[in-house]
Amino acid sequence: MKFKDGTVRAPMPGKVLAVNVAQGQSVQAGSVLVVLEAMKMENEIKAPIDGVVKTLGVNIGDIVRQGVELAIIE
Amino acid sequence: MTVAQVNSLKVEELKQRKTTIEGMGGAKAIDNQHRKGKLTARERIARLVDPGTFHELDALVRHRCGQFGMASKDIPADAVITGYGKVSGRTVFLAAQDFTSLAGTFGEMGGQKMCKAMDLAAKARAPFIQLLDSGGARLQEGQDSSEMYAQLFRRHTMYNGVIPQISIVLGTCAGGAAYGPALGDFIIQVKGTAYLYMGGPAFVRTLLGYEATEEELGGSEVHATVTGLADFVAENDDEAIDIAKELLSYLPNDYKSSPQQAATTDAADRRNTGIVDILPASSARSFDMSRLICEVLDDGHLFQVKELFAPNMITGYGRLNGRVVGVVANQSTVMGGVIDVDAADKAARFVRICDSYNIPLIQFQDSPAVMIGKQEEVKGIIRHGSKMLFAYTEATVPKITLVVRKSYAGAQLCMCSKPIGADIMYAWPTAEITLVGPATASSIIFAKEIAEASNPDEVRQRKLEEFAKAYVNPYVAAERGYIDDVIDPEETRIKLIAALESMANKSEDRLARRHANMQM
Repeated sequence: MKFKDGTVRAPMPGKVLAVNVAQGQSVQAGSVLVVLEAMKMENEIKAPIDGVVKTLGVNIGDIVRQGVELAIIE
Repeated sequence: MTVAQVNSLKVEELKQRKTTIEGMGGAKAIDNQHRKGKLTARERIARLVDPGTFHELDALVRHRCGQFGMASKDIPADAVITGYGKVSGRTVFLAAQDFTSLAGTFGEMGGQKMCKAMDLAAKARAPFIQLLDSGGARLQEGQDSSEMYAQLFRRHTMYNGVIPQISIVLGTCAGGAAYGPALGDFIIQVKGTAYLYMGGPAFVRTLLGYEATEEELGGSEVHATVTGLADFVAENDDEAIDIAKELLSYLPNDYKSSPQQAATTDAADRRNTGIVDILPASSARSFDMSRLICEVLDDGHLFQVKELFAPNMITGYGRLNGRVVGVVANQSTVMGGVIDVDAADKAARFVRICDSYNIPLIQFQDSPAVMIGKQEEVKGIIRHGSKMLFAYTEATVPKITLVVRKSYAGAQLCMCSKPIGADIMYAWPTAEITLVGPATASSIIFAKEIAEASNPDEVRQRKLEEFAKAYVNPYVAAERGYIDDVIDPEETRIKLIAALESMANKSEDRLARRHANMQM
């Protein structure tokens, strides 16, 4: 049982180490969109669903707060 | 009439009465129930218990309300079917609300039936299962209905930790009715037809002035992912009942007994060849802990509890050489495996339920930290995080901890280190058992040296390496006896089974007191 929509938010505050996709790109569920460094870990933020990256809200080096929208997959 | 005829008429009358009652709310109401994708209460019971084992009690009970046209109203079984039966050969007592009969409304007599079934379950030391699908309190009965809710909730509480209580929510549990499931051990909620909330859309509209849907107020997504109230979510009634059956297989009949041991063809001496390679080369990267756990457990099967709530913490049941174990583990693919407020709540409750029912606990540690930061502090991470320390320290069931990788500071203690009560604590050679990581340490204890150096970057790098070499390993802890051994990852299953069996007859007492006061 899963509940999933395409909005991807920062699960915790952190620094964007990598952005692996571009706007308009097709992605599959599970592909890594952004790598967010926090709490000594490089957290891979993955696409929750198959789709196209509709918006991408972050760049490498950005410091993001918890809950910030990182991307929307449609 | 002959004697035989007289007697036969009497038996015939009983049959007629029972047939009427077993017809529930009638063909039309049953059709409506099916159209909503739901089973009737009697169909649900038939799917739950072994064929031919259900014995109904109190089918003939009738309400005694004389108000508002109720006097002439017959409500079959007073809208709740109670009795006992066997699930996979084990006796359970149960109550199933019948939505086809006056919307399964909860009245005085139906409430009394549920209380009776619970009392019998507690006396018989057998699990109690309730299948809930009710329009709520029967308003025509006024305070009589309310009194019975209180009687019911009192029993849920009094029998909590005595016999397992499972609530399968198959319809709406509104207002007070939502407390019953919360007072038991486990809640299984069906997606799209089951709701638990204090006030439904009409109440919210009237009292608060805005629109909200049932789904938003208490649907399965809310309770599975946000509140953590639902332990399991099912696609439909059938799946919900299957989940209840499997769940029951991990639970004993009562607090004095242990879960049934199951036969397994999975060898106790099976080596976990290649298991260490589930870990990535860099310890800053995540890996799927559930894969690692499944590799170790019997038949690769982990039955997760609250799977979608705080998924950075894994809780669930499995078996090791046939013995039931409760698994608590950090999942680094979600939030790096940090322990936040929800993760701590989830784990602490799971630990306590396992301890209630004699289920040994196995920890798989890989957590970088207890979550910090403004957002988490104001949510009360200290209050909630302390529950894990409390629950583990209080638990007297066997507790076996394996440090797979990260074991730092507060998270190490929250995941049951030896002083917190682990009976046996093992580590993989990949373990990092220390207070803080090199970066944190360097930024504080070497700050001055780095700042004053002519080549600060070089000095920082050197200090990081020195610190990591000295402390980021399992051997400092092993040298002090803080852990019991560093094991070959391939022997994980062998070592955990042996540790579990060594503790099978564990006995540990606690100081006498009225009760402890864990943070709530």
